[in-house]
Amino acid sequence: MKDISKSINKVDNEEKISGQAKYVADYKMDGMLYAMTKRSTIAKGEIVKIEYPELPEGYYIIDHKDVQGKNIIKVIFEDWPVFTDKQITYLYEPIMLVIGPDKSVIVDILDKIKITYKENKPIFEWTDSVIDYHFDKGQGNRAFDNVDKVIEHTYQTGYQEQAYIEPQGFIGYPEGEKTTLLGSIQCPYYVKNAVIQALGEKNENVRVIQAHVGGAFGGKEEYPSLIGCQLAVAVKKIKKPIKLIFEREEDMLVTTKRHPSKTNFKAAIKDNKIVGLKAHVSIDAGATIGLSGVVLSRALLAVSGAYTFDHLDVSGNVYRTNTVPNGAFRGFGAPQMFFAVDMFIEHVGKELGYNPLDFRQKLLVKQGDRTSTNGLFRDPVLMPEMIQKAIDESDYKNKIKKYSQEKNFKGIGMSLFFHGCGFTGSGEKNIIKAKVRLKKTKDDKVHILVAAVDMGQGIKTTFRKLIAHMLDLDIEKVVFNNPDTDFVPDSGPTVASRTMMIVGGLLARAAKEMKSRWVENDFTVEKEYEQPDYIEYDELHFVGDAYPAYSWGVNIVEVEVDPVTYQVYIKKSWSVYDVGKAIDEKIVMGQADGGLAQGLAYGYLEVMNHKDGKIMQKNMTDYIIPTAMDMSEMETYLFDNPYAFGPYGAKGVGELPLIGGPAAIAKAIENAIGKTVYKIPVTPEYIMELMNND
Amino acid sequence: MTEIKFKLNGKKQVIKSNPNRRLLDVLREDFDLTGSKEGCGEGECGACSVLLNGQIANSCCIPLANVDGQDIVTIEGFSKTKEYQVIKDSFAEAGGVQCGFCTPGMIIATQSLLNENPHPSDYEIKIGLSGNLCRCTGYNLIIKSVKLAAKDGDDLW
Amino acid sequence: MVKTHIAKTLNNALEILNSGTYRIVAGGTDMLIQNRSHTGLPIAYKDDVIYINLIDELDYIKEDSKNIYIGATTRLETILRSEKAPNILKDIIHEMAGPGIRHTATLAGNIGNASPAGDSLVALYVLGASIKCQSIDNTRTVKIMDFIQGVRKIDLKSNEMITEIIIAKQDFTRVIFKKVAPRLSDAISKLSFVGAIKIIDNIVEDFRIALGAVSITVVRNEEIENKYRGMPLQEFKDNIDSVISDYEPIIKPIDDQRSNKEYRKHVALNLIKDFIIKS
Repeated sequence: MKDISKSINKVDNEEKISGQAKYVADYKMDGMLYAMTKRSTIAKGEIVKIEYPELPEGYYIIDHKDVQGKNIIKVIFEDWPVFTDKQITYLYEPIMLVIGPDKSVIVDILDKIKITYKENKPIFEWTDSVIDYHFDKGQGNRAFDNVDKVIEHTYQTGYQEQAYIEPQGFIGYPEGEKTTLLGSIQCPYYVKNAVIQALGEKNENVRVIQAHVGGAFGGKEEYPSLIGCQLAVAVKKIKKPIKLIFEREEDMLVTTKRHPSKTNFKAAIKDNKIVGLKAHVSIDAGATIGLSGVVLSRALLAVSGAYTFDHLDVSGNVYRTNTVPNGAFRGFGAPQMFFAVDMFIEHVGKELGYNPLDFRQKLLVKQGDRTSTNGLFRDPVLMPEMIQKAIDESDYKNKIKKYSQEKNFKGIGMSLFFHGCGFTGSGEKNIIKAKVRLKKTKDDKVHILVAAVDMGQGIKTTFRKLIAHMLDLDIEKVVFNNPDTDFVPDSGPTVASRTMMIVGGLLARAAKEMKSRWVENDFTVEKEYEQPDYIEYDELHFVGDAYPAYSWGVNIVEVEVDPVTYQVYIKKSWSVYDVGKAIDEKIVMGQADGGLAQGLAYGYLEVMNHKDGKIMQKNMTDYIIPTAMDMSEMETYLFDNPYAFGPYGAKGVGELPLIGGPAAIAKAIENAIGKTVYKIPVTPEYIMELMNND
Repeated sequence: MTEIKFKLNGKKQVIKSNPNRRLLDVLREDFDLTGSKEGCGEGECGACSVLLNGQIANSCCIPLANVDGQDIVTIEGFSKTKEYQVIKDSFAEAGGVQCGFCTPGMIIATQSLLNENPHPSDYEIKIGLSGNLCRCTGYNLIIKSVKLAAKDGDDLW
Repeated sequence: MVKTHIAKTLNNALEILNSGTYRIVAGGTDMLIQNRSHTGLPIAYKDDVIYINLIDELDYIKEDSKNIYIGATTRLETILRSEKAPNILKDIIHEMAGPGIRHTATLAGNIGNASPAGDSLVALYVLGASIKCQSIDNTRTVKIMDFIQGVRKIDLKSNEMITEIIIAKQDFTRVIFKKVAPRLSDAISKLSFVGAIKIIDNIVEDFRIALGAVSITVVRNEEIENKYRGMPLQEFKDNIDSVISDYEPIIKPIDDQRSNKEYRKHVALNLIKDFIIKS
């Protein structure tokens, strides 16, 4: 039996390389109109009056008055209006769409619409707490009684912008009674359900189709529901095709970004050991809560990092500010937390006089240990072997010693991390309830019917490969088209590193049944998610197994810092991952490279801040992501560790490679400059501050 | 309205249009050549790359006026060449394609590079790709793809 | 709608310029972005436009015994590949933008744009380049330090255009260029530095420093340079603190979305120091 990990060429290479693959902006329809958005020019206040110019024939304005259903976007926490009717809570909040055939006329109309506001004082400080979580493990705070000392540090992380190369957009068009949306999205059913709610429509009258997606990384998880609803309202009223594509600046200024965070850690020290850990995490939700509660949860669940601590006191707050709402981005709270905790444990180790690596290795999670919420790490944890592999390949131990002694502005750093695979908590069981279908047709072809989106991570190939393998078919016989909600069941959103493990797992179950019924000609197998019964989670009290499985990682990064300009040059990186089983090795390697590039850049390169609620880096010139010149050679090694409930043992891959990047590079920079780093991105400006503060 | 004469994908074209339009818009709207993409609109991302007289150029930064008398090849036109076949196979083999949005631009960059320098070093490959942003791959597999193309197409360039 | 002219000869361009007020567009890589409208819409120039990039007669790099002459429509990439162009200019162009931009952008355009962060300007200031400006009835040459007057302000009359950049042939013992940008390609400088020194018999015969993006124009101060010209090399190095305190007050950077003034100033001074120490 062939090893499924053995790589094949991706099935969609040809159409993408030749430029034939169509992304949403590439579509044209007869009689198509354009939509552009009128946005607030203040960060907080209310609309007092709107004066409209006279609209030429064929031009429309769509606003809250046209919303026939609920003027609220269906997201985890529903506080995001489709169009604001009065309140302004962030700069560039959408107020209305202007629609028509000629963009220059639309621009003119937008210019002439005069809005009078009553401005209020915006809140940018983190003072308005809207979500408050707390949980303990073991003795919680009592572990701090009668200790020798307490070590305390605070760590900060900034915004990160997804910067997918293809900006957001949709085309909406009527199909009889139906409103159809074709868009660059991760979650067709999120959009469909949101549109049903906004239009007050019947299920069968809303259709959402995924166009090719030019990168997403979480940025197209919930945000498209907003523009999808706005567009759907317009299409329903005007009954013509309408195209709404963001240009880069608009996309950067108004779409969701990674939550900035601040984490305060305290370690209770007794007999020179950590006997308790206390953490408080704050994240900035921006103007709406949306899914910030889940981001905070994921961060809190990662509070002890790759280490086991018996006593934890964990709390967190989501703060609402009058800034652009923040949302999903690969990692979803875990990158923020793993930066903080992996730095903290290293810092504590150093302060207690240990070799930090020895210190951390002794604290590593072992199979059978309890998670931060008293769940269980049921499966083997291969971290010791993975760390050894990374050390051997990189010569880490010799280098870190050499660089510390030589003080030559060269440095090396290692991060240790995991990622909980699947939706946090009971989401899979209680909210998503994924369904998949496999359909065998008379020509002996098998059609994969799921709502999972290939946004570059390669599921067009890996899903087809999975089914081909299980049914012993030629991959050409397996069909997987871009999801269209008219034809596929809701297998859940393409998020949370759940696609191969959960959706693929369901497909594997369906394939197994199909195989046993293969003699039948024309039939469909449907499977629905069943939570393994040993997974129990009490979401309210943060107790139990928050995730069914964990993927693990080690990153080592070597850097050189220029002592004159304080710039950081990445020399090389070595990564070791346990993702259970690679369904295609080359594809997993691609994810590993790309994720690490984003993680490293989050750690040292990507700067985004706001001034009075306005994002200051609003284009690809000012928001700095790596170019080919900036990235180094990356060596990646995979360890097999099959997970019983994943197809062929596969666990989650998508987010893991980003998680460890920031801590690894921050530590490498610390090693290079001999100073301690407490925030990311570790920019040259910050390095200069550190080096000049003696 | 000005008459602009140029060669597009090997064919002579004469159009009467506003010379202040961006070449990218002319390609995508007038000629339905949607392989060149708009990723940033300001010459940073390279998703709009075309071959201008055989060399890579950002079509979002070229006014139609400057196209007069020039030779433009888009990914669609380039995909009919022998060089394309080699590059296409090497990108597929090396795994240099993920979401695909930057890919046509990367292919154009590869052709522009190998045309000038058939056996580039890793550093020279990075320079050749330095005007094309990718958010998915971290670049390594794209660099590998270009190296493989240089190796496989040894007498084409 | 604005009036648009496409000039194919220099004479034609000069005639058109003499007939009205026109914004001159060469490659367009600066102008198109500064005057952007929206996807699908033509560039929203605020003035009438004349396009000059098709003037082939201005696409050249020539030299004689004294100077190098670069025509106004010579592309950056052409300069990069020319043996005639001075190395320092090539080093700088090498790090400007990316290949796509360099194939259409021109040196003259970069000069005309007169951005405080214009990388090529730093080299041209150190080289003491001159700009040839022509109108239908006049030709004049201006030193670049006089030609650039402020942010996007140049000494160009409304009927003139830049036709040539003249760089005297000169050699130095050591020329260093450092671009300090947020990333290693495709980036606008936080600051840029060129240092040039000519040492003969251990005497500093010539010494030049130019800094970009730390003031409204490139910073080069010949008065300071003259102070140290003729000094023995060791004395020059021993006087490093004096050099730094001479430059400190004329480096006046700002805070912006790319960086802050403390960093720019500190690194500028570091670069000067480092250059002198290593000479």
